[in-house]
Amino acid sequence: MSQASSPTHQRTFAQRLRKNYIGWLFIILSVLGISLFYFYPMVQAFLLSLQSGMGSSLEYVGFDNYVRLFNDPTFITALTNTILYLLIQVPVMIVLALVFSVLLNDPTLKFKGFFRTAIFLPAVTSLVAYAVIFKYLFGNDGLVNDFLLGMNIISSPIAWLSDPFWAKITIIIAITWRWTGYNMIFYLSALQNVDKSMYEAARIDGASAMQQFFFITIPLLKPIILFTSIVSTIGTLQLFDEVMNITSGGPGNSTMTISMYIYNLSFEYTPDFGYAATVSYVILILVVILSFIQFRVAGDRD
Amino acid sequence: MREKFSTKFWLLIVAILTAMVLAACSGGDDEGGGDETTEGNGEGITAWAWDPNFNIAALELALEHYDNEDFEMEIIENAQDDIVQRLNTGLSSGTMNGMPNIVLIEDQRAQSFLQSYPDAFYPIGDYFNTEDFAEYKIAPTSFDGEQYGLPFDTGVTGFFYRTDYLEEAGYTHDDLVDITWNEYVEIAKDVKEKTGQAMLSLDPNDLGILRVMMQTTGTWYTTEDGTIQLEGNEPLQMALENYKELMDNDVVKLNSDWSQYLEAFNSGDVASVPAGNWIAPSVEAEESQAGLWRVAPTPRLDMEGAVNASNQGGSSFYVLNIDGKEEAAEFLGETFGSNVEFYQDLVQEVGALGTYIPASEGDAYQFENEFFNNQQVVYDFSQWMEEIPQVDYGMNTYGIEDILSAEIQQYLDGKSLEDVLSDAQTQAENQFK
Amino acid sequence: MKKLKRVFTYLFLSVAAIVSIFPFLWMLVSMTNKSVDVTAGRLIPGTHFIQNLNNLLDQTQIGTALWNSFLIAVITTVLTLLIGSLAGYGFEIYRSKGKDIVFNILILSMMIPFAAIMIPLYRLFGQISADAPLIGLDTLAAAFLPTIITAFFIFFFRQNTKMFARELVEAGRIDGLSEWGIFFRIYMPTMKTTYAAAAIIAFMNSWNNYLWPLVVLQSPEKQTIPLLISNLGAGYTPDYGVIMTAIVIATLPTALVFFLMQRHFVAGMMGSVKG
Repeated sequence: MSQASSPTHQRTFAQRLRKNYIGWLFIILSVLGISLFYFYPMVQAFLLSLQSGMGSSLEYVGFDNYVRLFNDPTFITALTNTILYLLIQVPVMIVLALVFSVLLNDPTLKFKGFFRTAIFLPAVTSLVAYAVIFKYLFGNDGLVNDFLLGMNIISSPIAWLSDPFWAKITIIIAITWRWTGYNMIFYLSALQNVDKSMYEAARIDGASAMQQFFFITIPLLKPIILFTSIVSTIGTLQLFDEVMNITSGGPGNSTMTISMYIYNLSFEYTPDFGYAATVSYVILILVVILSFIQFRVAGDRD
Repeated sequence: MREKFSTKFWLLIVAILTAMVLAACSGGDDEGGGDETTEGNGEGITAWAWDPNFNIAALELALEHYDNEDFEMEIIENAQDDIVQRLNTGLSSGTMNGMPNIVLIEDQRAQSFLQSYPDAFYPIGDYFNTEDFAEYKIAPTSFDGEQYGLPFDTGVTGFFYRTDYLEEAGYTHDDLVDITWNEYVEIAKDVKEKTGQAMLSLDPNDLGILRVMMQTTGTWYTTEDGTIQLEGNEPLQMALENYKELMDNDVVKLNSDWSQYLEAFNSGDVASVPAGNWIAPSVEAEESQAGLWRVAPTPRLDMEGAVNASNQGGSSFYVLNIDGKEEAAEFLGETFGSNVEFYQDLVQEVGALGTYIPASEGDAYQFENEFFNNQQVVYDFSQWMEEIPQVDYGMNTYGIEDILSAEIQQYLDGKSLEDVLSDAQTQAENQFK
Repeated sequence: MKKLKRVFTYLFLSVAAIVSIFPFLWMLVSMTNKSVDVTAGRLIPGTHFIQNLNNLLDQTQIGTALWNSFLIAVITTVLTLLIGSLAGYGFEIYRSKGKDIVFNILILSMMIPFAAIMIPLYRLFGQISADAPLIGLDTLAAAFLPTIITAFFIFFFRQNTKMFARELVEAGRIDGLSEWGIFFRIYMPTMKTTYAAAAIIAFMNSWNNYLWPLVVLQSPEKQTIPLLISNLGAGYTPDYGVIMTAIVIATLPTALVFFLMQRHFVAGMMGSVKG
């Protein structure tokens, strides 16, 4: 900028300014829309989180709701469960989705369309049906137990839905089953934008398929891996549908999630929207922290 | 590649999109306009309810019985959970726009609505006589001395059982009438031993059966003034002991879904179904079992003052405090509130059992049901209904139950009953102070 | 060795496909059975399909619901893709400190559960209703407006733009294209597969969206498919045969959209990768 006096530099500076200005035009609609439909309600929700009471009779209580969180065993259980789902489920799903997308990107593979659609199908299946069917499959005398017993993998049926530990496992299986195909799409589409000549060159250099995967595919897909990790983290922290439909948070509240608790506080119990908003802001804070870590780990700042 | 998206293609997209946006908006225009006029002059009442074969059908029938040419009502079907969400969202935002005039609310949820949104509902006590209705329906539908709900269906419970299984185990109908839950547990063990069948099917996430047991003594999780009473609640303690006995003795076929619950009795896997009368159509759905079922009164808890009658579910109609409230209340009062004829048709055509007492003397109530061995099921239910002890469900039934169900899990694993209830008490008091 | 790996790949994919598709097949079978047989978990096709379909058509306005859902989904998809890609492109290609900060703030909007902002949002639309009834409560427009501008798609397009060769932008400028021209004539065609993926997701999200349409669409003529299915399951004696029929009908459009779009995911345009 210090050399901005020379005419050529002045021109590039003006050009840059103009580009900067056009850049804002590209994003202005989104900024306005999100401010109106998301930030404005979010500010209101924050004000709500400082209030307590039932239904429409709310009064300001300052940060009392935030203090109340720490003495609320249901909240603590919901938080622990949610973080457990997150730690186990997200990595497994991301890796699975990557593997599927690389396998299904192979142009010499037959029935690609069928395999892709089949694996994506769980994501579009209505949750109502899928919950009914899942509960059959994982019932005490359901097909899953029949299969495992028949294969002699287990000696007595597993209480997939009524045991606190196994119910969590069932939920993890259910989310993975439903969302792996969904994540696969992001990778599949991104793989099309990868320059194929890099693979050619690697093969000429004698790189194995494994090496190509780790040294070409993964680094190139990094922005998308970051994207899916953050989106899945958010999705899991806001996990609601599967739990609501498969276990309703039970047995006891051993599969309860934070989002399900928010729902209960708002609609199932006598509504306390203030406290529900407080719990929502906890999710927000958690996601901010985790996303920050993920951005850092992925080194997206360069 | 740049030619892939030609100008023509773009024009087409823009044209289609414009057409669709216009379609979407004009669709909204028609309705929006219509709504405003309805709210303006009070004509065109709307009602929200769930279940087309039951509540919706009842409303339609009521409309047929209502002699008022000027009265128009649109009945809108919504799932119960959906109604709860819509009402809460609408009422709490203060936007009454689009809210219905009449809404059906489950009795156990009613207090939380009435107390959370005090001005949102219209008192309708002047439009009918509360004394004509089963007494137990009044507490949940009124608040602060005002009557807000018009009592609709009863959830009066019965002990549906398979005559063949019970006979095989050595029991006649008389052995099953007016028994206690302790006796029920013993019978269950006998049935299991002699026929190999489970006695009943339960979803471990649904504590409805505990409420059924508890209400036979007129007790609830909370007292009338809303105080939480879990610790030292003897009926609850006894109900839990019975519940554990059932679970421990392998007489329960567990289910985790409504469809599995239905399957348990439709496929003949359980010998009995202790549930509200509304389960009858689902029992009758398996036609091959006609003549194999009967209904006995609900078992009571083994305590003084307990009666062989209880309740599970049931809902009532409420009128929102918006334009059209008088017309809506009048409609309800003239039909659900006082029309004996209407209730006869209701039983015959819809199979719904109301809580309007004068109706039970009508002919339709004397019907002998072949499926249930020619038992006068409807009449029996209507008699039991009058005995149901009144309880105030309060505002926190579902909240307390979530806390309790976590503790019950530990109780089944061996934690002492005293600790279970006192821990639940502490948690509940923390949460709902 | 190569052969063996191939066999293993097919085996692995087949198992995954069966596990994924099994519940869907179950639904297809259940669609042809009576309710009692569905709850009994019967896995053999029955003869009840026509009956179920007739009941469904009698009891519900499934045609209207399909049309509403379709209308909302198509408008949402097109607008979401356009607005999201414009912003994603803008944030990456015209990157600046200020825009990065704005971007990070926008991302925050993804992180709060929708249930938390639903009531304030509803109140907002209540206020809009008074001034602009065309986009207020109980209009299809209200159902899609908050969903067409989302941080999710901005983020998605931005991340994909990172993989877009910047030289193409420079080449466009040298060719004398305007900045908008570069976006519409170079970026969009080049990023075809990214748009295809985004279209699948946007269509699916809209098609399955439940909570917001539930509260904002009140009259039955505006019912969408998920609400219709929710009503079907809400009775004291639900007919599972009819429910399954409705669900299969509801699933097909998204499955079809996916099947059509996934063809754009064709590798090997610039040489092939062999496993």
